[in-house]
Amino acid sequence: MLNWIDATALSTWLKESPSVWAFPTVLTLHTTGMGVLVGASYVFDLRLLGIGRNVPLSSYRWVFPTLAVGLGVNIVTGILLFIKDPTHWGTAFPFFVKMGLVIASAATVVPMRSLVLSSGPEQREVSSNMRLLAIASIVAWSGAITAGRLLAYVVP
Amino acid sequence: MNHVPTVGSVGALGLLLLGYLRRNEHLKHVGLEVLFLIALLTLPVYVSGVAAHQEIRPIKEVSDDAIRVHQDAALIGFTVMEFAGFVAWAALWQWRRRGHAAPRIVPAATVLLVLALALMARAANLGGEIRHPEILAGGVAAPAGDPERFMTWSINQVAVYSRWAWPAAETVHFLGLSLSFGVLLAVNLRILGAMKQTPFSDVHRLLPWGMLGFGANLITGMFFFVGQPGQYSSSEPFKWKIVFLVIAGANFLYLTVFGGPWVSNGDKRFDAGLGDKAMAILSMCSWLAVLWAGRMLPFLGKAF
Repeated sequence: MLNWIDATALSTWLKESPSVWAFPTVLTLHTTGMGVLVGASYVFDLRLLGIGRNVPLSSYRWVFPTLAVGLGVNIVTGILLFIKDPTHWGTAFPFFVKMGLVIASAATVVPMRSLVLSSGPEQREVSSNMRLLAIASIVAWSGAITAGRLLAYVVP
Repeated sequence: MNHVPTVGSVGALGLLLLGYLRRNEHLKHVGLEVLFLIALLTLPVYVSGVAAHQEIRPIKEVSDDAIRVHQDAALIGFTVMEFAGFVAWAALWQWRRRGHAAPRIVPAATVLLVLALALMARAANLGGEIRHPEILAGGVAAPAGDPERFMTWSINQVAVYSRWAWPAAETVHFLGLSLSFGVLLAVNLRILGAMKQTPFSDVHRLLPWGMLGFGANLITGMFFFVGQPGQYSSSEPFKWKIVFLVIAGANFLYLTVFGGPWVSNGDKRFDAGLGDKAMAILSMCSWLAVLWAGRMLPFLGKAF
């Protein structure tokens, strides 16, 4: 399976094209998506932890479509990056650690979204469970970035 | 270009001192803004200085030691200048929110500026000795010396030989990127029309978190640059990264101090004008350009 992906035209193009619009652009878009996705997450986590506690939770509705855009870009570019070297990533343990962290991070967004969507226009209080979730979210996203960045160094 | 930091700092210092003398808060405010902009412009000056070093290194008559002494002095001057810029920014941020800065923060910025000015003058003086070796005591016979006593040399060694320093700094660089990008996203989206129910002052509240992310990236970025200057000094995308950083930084100052939402206590339902919206778009575009140029360093340049 991995070898089959490796032999596809798309994989070859990503591996061999000298164009800036091939691999370099995919990688840059992956980093941009990360900035949007993790950045918007951090901002909302900070709000849950009390930074800007005057702001009603409902004002943070914009965060979720933004996260969806960032996540969408990174799923597409992430798949492309995988297709470029499937036998490399598909057999590397640290890669699966990163995937686990990304899934865990994204999972923290689900209860946050329902909190915001169900909150009234003046609701500002955050339960202690939500604050814990915010900490988990910061840790998980930071872990995902750390794992992702270190992949370039620990996977030979 | 090389004289911008020194000449500009004298200007900023003049404005601050005049502000004290005349008890004119407005002059102090302008002085802090100029100080921030000079700290910003010191970045390209420092970077171009290191690039010049890369070029003159093969010239035999130039003493390597004289260059190293100048580089260390320049790095110290640059660091204090950036620190002064951060403090000035913090003062301006407080000023915007409270109508005045905390009592000690403006004097602190002034003292740091004086210190930075003195250190930069020293660096400039030592820089003069590179091209005019006759003013060096001992002239050509200056001893080659032990490179370990130089700060830039040590940073270079850590960058090249430590197994963890570079990857760790890269990781922090990406975390800082995400934090500052998220804050800028929130502030600029508010200006562009999201979070309409939220007073602007409540998103302005987030700016120091953006600055925290940026500070982490300036430190780690300088580590890369000082550690491996050869990768960057002649790199085309790096040049663009610095250009867009200066634009983005100036824009960040605008986001910090602009008056629109604050006048007449009316920040509650602040509707940004066309100019402010244009600035918000410019802010996002210039930060995206910084990110783009940075990520392209290995492909359009020769960094890894």
